[in-house]
Amino acid sequence: MNDHRIKAVRMIDTVPTLIPPYLRPGDLVGITCPAGYLCLEDTQNAVEALEKWGYRVKLGKTVGAQYYGYSGTDAERAADFQDMLDDPQIKAILFGRGGYGTVRIIDSLDFNRFYRDPKWLCGYSDITVVHSFVQSQLHIPTLHCEMCIDLKYGNADASADTIRRALRGDKLSYSVDVHPMNRLGSCEGLLVGGNLSLLAAMIGSSSDIDMDGKILFIEDVHEYLYRLDEMLWTLGRAGKLDRLAGLVVGGFTRLKYDPEDPPFGQEIDEIIFDQVRAARFPVCFGFPAGHQFDNFSLRLGMPHRLLVTAKGGLLQER
Amino acid sequence: MKQSNPRHGRKHWIEPPFLKPGDRIAVTCPASKMDRQVAETAASIIEGWGFRVLLGDTVGAQYHNFSAPDEQRCSELQHMLDEDSIRAVIFGRGGYGMLRIIDKLDFSRLRRKPKWICGYSDITALHNHLGTCLGMESFHSVMCSGITSETGGDPYVDSLRRSLTGERMAYSFSAHPLNRTGTASGTLVGGNLSLLVSLAGTISQPDTRGKILFLEDVGEYRYAVDRMMIQLQRAGWLQGISALVVGGFTDYRETEEPFGQTEYEIIQDKVSELDFPVAFGFPAGHQRENYTLKMGGDYTVVVGETCMLKENE
Repeated sequence: MNDHRIKAVRMIDTVPTLIPPYLRPGDLVGITCPAGYLCLEDTQNAVEALEKWGYRVKLGKTVGAQYYGYSGTDAERAADFQDMLDDPQIKAILFGRGGYGTVRIIDSLDFNRFYRDPKWLCGYSDITVVHSFVQSQLHIPTLHCEMCIDLKYGNADASADTIRRALRGDKLSYSVDVHPMNRLGSCEGLLVGGNLSLLAAMIGSSSDIDMDGKILFIEDVHEYLYRLDEMLWTLGRAGKLDRLAGLVVGGFTRLKYDPEDPPFGQEIDEIIFDQVRAARFPVCFGFPAGHQFDNFSLRLGMPHRLLVTAKGGLLQER
Repeated sequence: MKQSNPRHGRKHWIEPPFLKPGDRIAVTCPASKMDRQVAETAASIIEGWGFRVLLGDTVGAQYHNFSAPDEQRCSELQHMLDEDSIRAVIFGRGGYGMLRIIDKLDFSRLRRKPKWICGYSDITALHNHLGTCLGMESFHSVMCSGITSETGGDPYVDSLRRSLTGERMAYSFSAHPLNRTGTASGTLVGGNLSLLVSLAGTISQPDTRGKILFLEDVGEYRYAVDRMMIQLQRAGWLQGISALVVGGFTDYRETEEPFGQTEYEIIQDKVSELDFPVAFGFPAGHQRENYTLKMGGDYTVVVGETCMLKENE
């Protein structure tokens, strides 16, 4: 009965409010660590890459600093992040690494200046907290991509190159190999998501993304299968999976198991598919993003088209 | 000492009938597998309390790490919920698996003919589902895996017998340096922290406002405890509670770098700007002592030089 009204409301959510300006040669990129600590040397490859792409780099105070497992106290990490959000010269922030800690500072940050003068926020894993906050509160796109720690092991590979292309404004488009569990179909919607544990940890908070009508991307690392099952049941029971436009599954790598326990009895792809079995939207497994060698950049919060056929998957930024 | 406001208009909760000698108690494993002999020992101890015990087919069965496939665990529990001659269900053990079957269970018969549901850990999902969807009380207690020939005579195991027969329990426990003193009353909700966060945003999520929140957990990384407490904080579960009672946080894990705070410090941090009484070290959780708590029961907590958690008459 209310279908038309609901669709009208949903329309607001199908385009981003503002798109941060793409970068031009000579622009300044800031590097900060909002979570785990990172040695100064581990940023070297990232700095070289950014400079080679024609950008200037500003290292934050948290880079190379350490407080327990963090790159600084909550106050120090928040202040460094805040400085970079507010600095009009900085056109993009590439996070040093993930780990744990972004959720401890996200609510203390002031995004007012960022909202007037948005910039690209680039990272993944623990940075899912930033992606989710910015998507749900500000509807501004962000970049899900490798961070300085990942570039430590290779700054000239295909994954790093997608950061270069994303920052200068190329439309990103990826084709993915056939996967036996894929569900064929095509859809359009805003691309949202990130690390599954963090997406589950946002539920019930103001950073919880409305996933209805969206293409959801998920990945995770170093979790037990039963824990991933539990998180997916939570997303499912919270009604977040039944009205997706599509699902893109990235890496679920280095999964943990206790040798004394019998195996869980299902592989991760089956566990994921079980939660969306009753729906009809396209599902694309094996997308090259996550905690793995290939971690291609995804522009979260921007409209995408997902096409899954017998020949494989295609995820295209519109 | 801070005194919280007297509570008004406690929602009417369903209190299942207490047990009488000769009543039948059923045992099932709705989650992970358990050894049948362990359950048989527990059954003989429970029979020694004057009840008859029925062990389900899932007890001692194995399907991967579960006791049985989802359908079988679900249908056995369903039968025990529906069968009038069964007056209480004590779970064999927790582990993982309740979340996978909870939405397939039909509680309409249980609503008309309430009975006591007893367990903890993974059973937190069911306690809170019963509380939120049915307004039914249940026991946070030891399960068969914890009722052994060594523990059978212990007062915390006996607290389950006493609770099942209708005694209102009052527990005194030692003060902890991180406590915040005060007195508060309210309905008791909560359970295992990681299960509680897994209920966020779902129909089983408890409404914590005005309630006494109980938390315990086991085997978690400290950063994960921090993340889960921040989730409770950010989802607004902590702001309006009348008191916080924290049980065992045992067998914690660390990553390569020490986290820098203990579990209790992590929890205390998240409530430091709020002003309800907080008691750490209540003897319930994944530790030897696991005293029975009536989830949905009306309790008063006193946090002072000594602490007390008692069910109101």
